[in-house]
Amino acid sequence: MFKKILIANRGEIACRVIKTARKMGIATVAVYSDADLDARHVELADEAVCIGPAPSKESYLRIDKILAACKQTGAEAVHPGYGFLSENSEFCAQLEAAGIVFIGPRPHAMQAMGDKIASKKLAMAAKVSTIPGYTDVIKNADEAVRIAAGIGYPVMIKASAGGGGKGLRVAFSDKETHEGFQSCTNEARNSFGDDRVFIEKYIEEPRHIEIQVLGDSHGNVVYLGERECSLQRRHQKVIEEAPSPFLDAKTRKAMGEQAVALAKAVQYQSAGTVEFVVGGKDKNFYFLEMNTRLQVEHPVTEYITGLDLVEQMLRVAAGEKLSFTQDDIQLNGWAMECRINAEDPLRNFLPSIGRLIKYQPPEETSGHVRVDTGVYEGGEISMYYDPMIAKLIVHGASREQAIARMRDALNQFVIRGVSSNIAFQAALMQNPRFISGNFNTGLIAEEYPQGFDSADLAHDDPTMLIAVGAAIHRRYLERNATIDGQLPGHEYRPGNDFVVLLDDVQHPVVAVPVAGGVDVTYAGDTYQVRSPWQFGQSLYQGTLNGEPICMQVERVGLKYRLFHWGTQADLLVLTAHAAALQALMPHKVPPDLSRFLLSPMPGLLTDIAVAPGQEVKAGEKLAVIEAMKMENVLKADHDCVVAKLLAKPGESLAVDQAIIEFR
Amino acid sequence: MHDIIQQLEEKRGQARLGGGTKRIGAQHAKGKLTARERIELLLDPGSFEEWDMFVEHRCTDFGMADNKTPGDGVVTGYGTINGRMVFIFSQDFTVFGGALSEAHAEKICKVMDHAMKVGAPVIGLNDSGGARIQEGVASLGGYADVFQRNVMASGVVPQISMIMGPCAGGAVYSPAMTDFIFMVKDTSYMFVTGPEVVKTVTHEEITAEELGGAVTHNTKSGVADLAFENDVEALLMLRRFFNYLPLNNREKPPLRHTEDPAERLDLSLDTLVPNNPNKPYDMKELIVKIADDGDFFELQPDYAKNILIGFVRMEGQTVGIVANQPLVLAGCLDIKSSSKAARFVRFCDAFNIPIITLVDVPGFMPGTAQEYGGIIKHGAKLLYAFAECTVPKVTLITRKAYGGAYDVMSSKHLRGDVNFAWPSAEIAVMGPKGAVEIIFREEKNDPAKLAGREAEYKAKFANPFVAGSRGFIDDVIQPHETRKRICRSLAMLKRKKLENPWRKHGNIPL
Repeated sequence: MFKKILIANRGEIACRVIKTARKMGIATVAVYSDADLDARHVELADEAVCIGPAPSKESYLRIDKILAACKQTGAEAVHPGYGFLSENSEFCAQLEAAGIVFIGPRPHAMQAMGDKIASKKLAMAAKVSTIPGYTDVIKNADEAVRIAAGIGYPVMIKASAGGGGKGLRVAFSDKETHEGFQSCTNEARNSFGDDRVFIEKYIEEPRHIEIQVLGDSHGNVVYLGERECSLQRRHQKVIEEAPSPFLDAKTRKAMGEQAVALAKAVQYQSAGTVEFVVGGKDKNFYFLEMNTRLQVEHPVTEYITGLDLVEQMLRVAAGEKLSFTQDDIQLNGWAMECRINAEDPLRNFLPSIGRLIKYQPPEETSGHVRVDTGVYEGGEISMYYDPMIAKLIVHGASREQAIARMRDALNQFVIRGVSSNIAFQAALMQNPRFISGNFNTGLIAEEYPQGFDSADLAHDDPTMLIAVGAAIHRRYLERNATIDGQLPGHEYRPGNDFVVLLDDVQHPVVAVPVAGGVDVTYAGDTYQVRSPWQFGQSLYQGTLNGEPICMQVERVGLKYRLFHWGTQADLLVLTAHAAALQALMPHKVPPDLSRFLLSPMPGLLTDIAVAPGQEVKAGEKLAVIEAMKMENVLKADHDCVVAKLLAKPGESLAVDQAIIEFR
Repeated sequence: MHDIIQQLEEKRGQARLGGGTKRIGAQHAKGKLTARERIELLLDPGSFEEWDMFVEHRCTDFGMADNKTPGDGVVTGYGTINGRMVFIFSQDFTVFGGALSEAHAEKICKVMDHAMKVGAPVIGLNDSGGARIQEGVASLGGYADVFQRNVMASGVVPQISMIMGPCAGGAVYSPAMTDFIFMVKDTSYMFVTGPEVVKTVTHEEITAEELGGAVTHNTKSGVADLAFENDVEALLMLRRFFNYLPLNNREKPPLRHTEDPAERLDLSLDTLVPNNPNKPYDMKELIVKIADDGDFFELQPDYAKNILIGFVRMEGQTVGIVANQPLVLAGCLDIKSSSKAARFVRFCDAFNIPIITLVDVPGFMPGTAQEYGGIIKHGAKLLYAFAECTVPKVTLITRKAYGGAYDVMSSKHLRGDVNFAWPSAEIAVMGPKGAVEIIFREEKNDPAKLAGREAEYKAKFANPFVAGSRGFIDDVIQPHETRKRICRSLAMLKRKKLENPWRKHGNIPL
């Protein structure tokens, strides 16, 4: 086994690899860019080497710098993680030439599979079922339109070197094909330095299911079950689970065997993933691509197989034989993963950057809850890299139990300072289609077309909010009573009768303090709220009528803002008399911001596509903002006329800064 | 006997109705509560002792002899807020539009005199159309009587004004002399001359809200300290605010039980100051993370945002915070921020409230606007305030403390009791770049050489240790232990005794 390895990556995956290496007694070397000087992976590794400025092109994608770092530290092998250089066969080859082991597949396999066109041909040769399409390089937009029309709409335009949703467009018409080809080519060139794209039939109501394979250098390949990755937003996975609620044993076996056949065809070693698209009705499956790396979602497979995939990769890379065969592999229980992204569901999931003022992931419990995290409280989410900052993984005996555990764990996940998708994930966990298991990759787009606002989500049982809100308020009043300087004999004694205002509805309650908590009586029932919660803590953990409960609480002026199961509620707790007076207060309508195009995120305004006086139809492009290396096109929500431009291209924008005023 | 008691109840009932149900309805329709409803919300339930319910005006002109309402447009008395005594007057807009008569003023003066005698704060709930014009100069005299008492009470008992309706003309000068002015959005305004007069004199067309509404005074003029959405929020938040204040200038600020440990560490503070010295960060995060339970009651949050002021508690005791805010104008001192902070420092000093000063200041704001506006005089206010201040003073320099601004911000030289610095502190006459350009002027045309000098200067002065070697800094501390170190310092300073030499009064640069 290696004595020292270098991890050519950052974030949660670098931390995750370090964890296994440490467990195996292997020393670790981290590499980092200037922006990551204080990053968690640098802190965790035994050694760390700076490899350049913040942009990944000048650091994490620099083969020469990483080679130099290996030489400088004496690392014998390199784990590439995912993204960055993980599927770069040139990197792989250069390492080999320098006598350093690449912890992953051999360059030839990577090359064959890394190119989507070549891999499709290979798959066909290995009798793996594939989607109809055009697999040769397309020269220009006009040719793309001809080919698309030939295949029949809808079609998908994909970058040959693409992955992770980048460089991918769906087109339903000649016009969209034309546009999609251009933008896809541009994005592919910028992101991967390779602008080749191809076109294929787009399968509607598709499910995305992938098979994990593992091979060694001795020709053994096994499959480790599937992962259901259909919950996607704009082709980015959001929730993954294993097994899939859709597959039967027969289909699983058929897919697994095809995946192994494909892997064997390229003498695949190490961990890899064969992605399939599965028709929602007929369970027909087609090969999409093979990812020749460790996947983001590998932990769900680890949970149900009991294997440590990083450990297996290290053993295989060191030349060891797999210590088990296909027959040894048992799938146990149900695992689920939520990707925790620094993004704002309210602003159509745009990346959110900044300082993590608070960051408290849920407590890990062996076998039940796992958190793979790359950040820490006080850390910085920079604009340079992926917005995924952590993964929350749970395991349960059944799918129901896994969902219940995930809901509890999401309640406990505290992130402040940057926006996150935690509430959105919690909402998905209670979406009936998701719970039924009967969904496809269109679920999020169909159910949340306008993005997601946790204030719009209705709580299953608002009584819980009322009980906790009243209990918290009673504690605050109790604290007020401890102030000194009170008039002797006329001290303040908080009352027990209150009215909780939730969504402008008055709920009369009686809140009586008892040992360890407060008994709240509401609508004839008494709720025993018990919690060791202390003022200022974000997490209100305890029990409600003996059942564990966990909410997040913030005091905003007079109000208590509670976060629970993806919902967000503002409660005002008043005496009955104050509530009667509150009812006299005017309802204030917030100012109308719909006349403005506001910047949804901090970033660089690269383009304004309209001029004053211009009439704009809904869906037309208004402006482009570059943030986190992604081009974000801002489109008109509705038909409008441009009145004034309030910002210039090249300008740095703050969040909510007005860009265009409409008439 | 029974009849007399009955009569009293009837008289009281009449007084409680103020201007009558119709006007009460009109008050409610405007989104405003009545004078008594406001008192009920502000004070502990049942604690209000009302005085002078039967006072009536003495005016006989313009038919006023037949037009009397018991109480004469203001409700006065005392009560408790969380068991602590407070005197209160609440103007009743339903009676003569809350206009101030001689008798109305006398009622206010009475509670103020009592407050001074027993050492309790005075809260005024202002909702008045102005002077009782029918009374003429008697009404003006009434205002002046109140003004005089405001001044006499200043620094003896805390005075708070809550503007909950109109407050115009001479009337504004009573609140103006109190310690804090709070306003209710959309229903309150304050100005010396109203929109009509403004239009005639300066030809400016402006609404009352734009001229003197809550938003105007909380963002543009700095006259007000906070703005609230409505009467209920305003009064309940005022209860919270009152908890921070001592009852008078002979008492220590109140203690309230806390379970937040003084030794609580916060590792995230170690990364608060960015590596890049030109990158801003939010000083509010530091305040919230070192304060008891994360509570910071900020004042004037929307005015001169380059400085933060407000109250926190440390180990249960009220402490005033003055902090540069690097997020706005790099945290520099200018006219507005100096005046804002200076007044707050003097309030704390007058009422025995210790002050924590958090420093990240690149200097004073340059420019003609500042110089012509008198930054010399206004900056001097803050310097004067810190220098004359005798309450416990703990100062922490987080990053920049350059030039004269270093001296001003509660430095050791201005009798700072405990002066800490984080390792990221740079205490110097100016930033490294500016400094080398002056010291090595002859190397101006040699950027490489100048860069070397800059690095040299940086290594030498851009740290807290030079100041430390002189004793200007008592200790360089780890950011994560900030709360612990400040709590200990404040505990050590609890019995601090320091007196300025006798004088009639100092002459602060006004």
